[in-house]
Amino acid sequence: MEKEKAHFWHTVNGRMLSTAWKRPGFKLGLFVFVFLLLMALILPALSDVSATKISVRERFLPPVLMGNANTAHLFGTDQLGRDLLLRSLVGLQNALLIGVLAVVGMFIFGAVIGIVSGYRGGLVDTILMRITDAQMSIPVVILAITILGVARPTPFSVIVVLVLAGWPTYARVARSAALSESKKEYVRAAKIIGASNLRIMARHIAPNILPPIAFIGVLDVARMMIFEAIFGFIGIGIQPPTPTFGNILADGTKYLINAWWITVIPGLFLFAALLSLNSIGNALEKARNDVFGGHS
Amino acid sequence: MAFFLSFMLRRLTQGLLIILIVGFVIFALLRIIPGDPVRIIVGPMATETQIEEIAKDLGLRDPLVVQFGRYLVELSNGDMGNSFIKNKSGANVVMGRSSEGLDNKASVFDLIVAAAPYSIQLAGLSVVFALMFSLPVGIAAGLRPDSWINKISFGISSIFVSLPNIWLGILLILILSTKLHWLPAIGYKGFSYTILPAIVLAIELSSVIVRALSSSVTSAMQETYIQAGVVRGLSVGHMIRHHVLRNAAIPMLNLFGAQLGGLLLGSIFVVEYIFNYPGLGLLTINAVFQRDFPVIQGVAILTTAVLVLINIVVDLISASIDRRLQY
Repeated sequence: MEKEKAHFWHTVNGRMLSTAWKRPGFKLGLFVFVFLLLMALILPALSDVSATKISVRERFLPPVLMGNANTAHLFGTDQLGRDLLLRSLVGLQNALLIGVLAVVGMFIFGAVIGIVSGYRGGLVDTILMRITDAQMSIPVVILAITILGVARPTPFSVIVVLVLAGWPTYARVARSAALSESKKEYVRAAKIIGASNLRIMARHIAPNILPPIAFIGVLDVARMMIFEAIFGFIGIGIQPPTPTFGNILADGTKYLINAWWITVIPGLFLFAALLSLNSIGNALEKARNDVFGGHS
Repeated sequence: MAFFLSFMLRRLTQGLLIILIVGFVIFALLRIIPGDPVRIIVGPMATETQIEEIAKDLGLRDPLVVQFGRYLVELSNGDMGNSFIKNKSGANVVMGRSSEGLDNKASVFDLIVAAAPYSIQLAGLSVVFALMFSLPVGIAAGLRPDSWINKISFGISSIFVSLPNIWLGILLILILSTKLHWLPAIGYKGFSYTILPAIVLAIELSSVIVRALSSSVTSAMQETYIQAGVVRGLSVGHMIRHHVLRNAAIPMLNLFGAQLGGLLLGSIFVVEYIFNYPGLGLLTINAVFQRDFPVIQGVAILTTAVLVLINIVVDLISASIDRRLQY
């Protein structure tokens, strides 16, 4: 067991993780992120009030720090008396769920297409690259408002739109990595012993090229969370009463002058989550560049 | 020259192909989704026979490919069809009052021409703001990769990239507009209404530019020609202006084309919506709510075309900065 562990830290991926771990941004980001994640998972489950419970008597309560004596609502309440802390945390759950699933989806989709196209080359490669060209020429927001605006927005369709918009980048990176990998000795060796193409792609190329790409995916989770918030704000994301950052912010703008905390507090949670994810992602990206060579 | 012409010809055909594919996908998407557009035009009071009649008149019962072909022919004459909702006078039609058909509806082309200058003004100003901030910060950070300037600029760009534009927009409205009354925010009654949305866009752009600029300046500084320049007795300032920036410009330009073009085009839609700024984005988002398909389609094809053109122009400029690059 000890030996296995020591072995892991000497692999390329282990070295990347340990290099990243040495950066203060990584530890701080991870700490904040885990803290927010635990809050988002535990607090709404423990609390006896629900995030969608309307309480007319407790409308527009400011946060406790503003001199509000009602400690039941630490971060205040919104225009319907719903607790802002709970709403932000449930919003965070939804944003993370959509962000992570979308990135996993585009990663799998892009990796499969990229590896096949880089390894096989030829016509398949040309066609796939032209498709990614076309796909990259449509801004995500425009693609999203076209699809989500005319179809019914559900969590699933939001994820599908994000995957559709994001996979070409992953396909391109995976393709160029697979292309250079397919010329290496070990792939030739595998061919000589008679390994099938599928086996070479799945067992030899994929484990070598995918982890660094996956590490950078952390940055994309943050980007997808922003998109999720934007969709919700425009009204083409997950629909109310389910709280998402987007629809909380959109509601709050109507009361901006008298009750600014309805928009500011949830935004702070989103900002903190994004900043922590970006710190982790940046540290991983720098670690990857250190390990694989190249500059930051 | 022949070189240049063949490059332009190849890129333009490629670009045209991309626009055609994207156009067809969006065209098809808008037609396969449930809901009859004729219902939207004539309103809920019309009978089934009226609907069929108008649908046939408009050619909405023909095969998809035929419809797309007809759309392309009209498009090549500068005709993007008519809005389902908006009247020529600019007023929205109340549902059910417009069974006369499409004769008095505003043309999509006119709507786009009316809105585009606002969007161009906003995009231009935001790029100016972004460069005013990013150029000095990015270059200073790139010249001293291990200094505090670099760390701070990296931190700032991390913060910028983590600020969701919807929240940032609202915060700026709250602080600069409603509390301090420095800048107007909602709608458009003059140039000053462009500043606040442009700041939001500029912050989003800067997060990318600062980082890319500083890393490309850093790598340019490590080239051997810099040491050669030092030996030849050139001043650092001279080398930065004439050698480093010229070499750092190529990756920057490519970034501008692919990444920033897409970022700006997408975000401008959202920012216009937040600030109720009367550009193409607001036009499109309102069209989505009203299911005004011709408008959505027109804007989507237009933005794709703009993005493709930006990329071609970027390649041209890169080639004229660095003669080693092949067209």
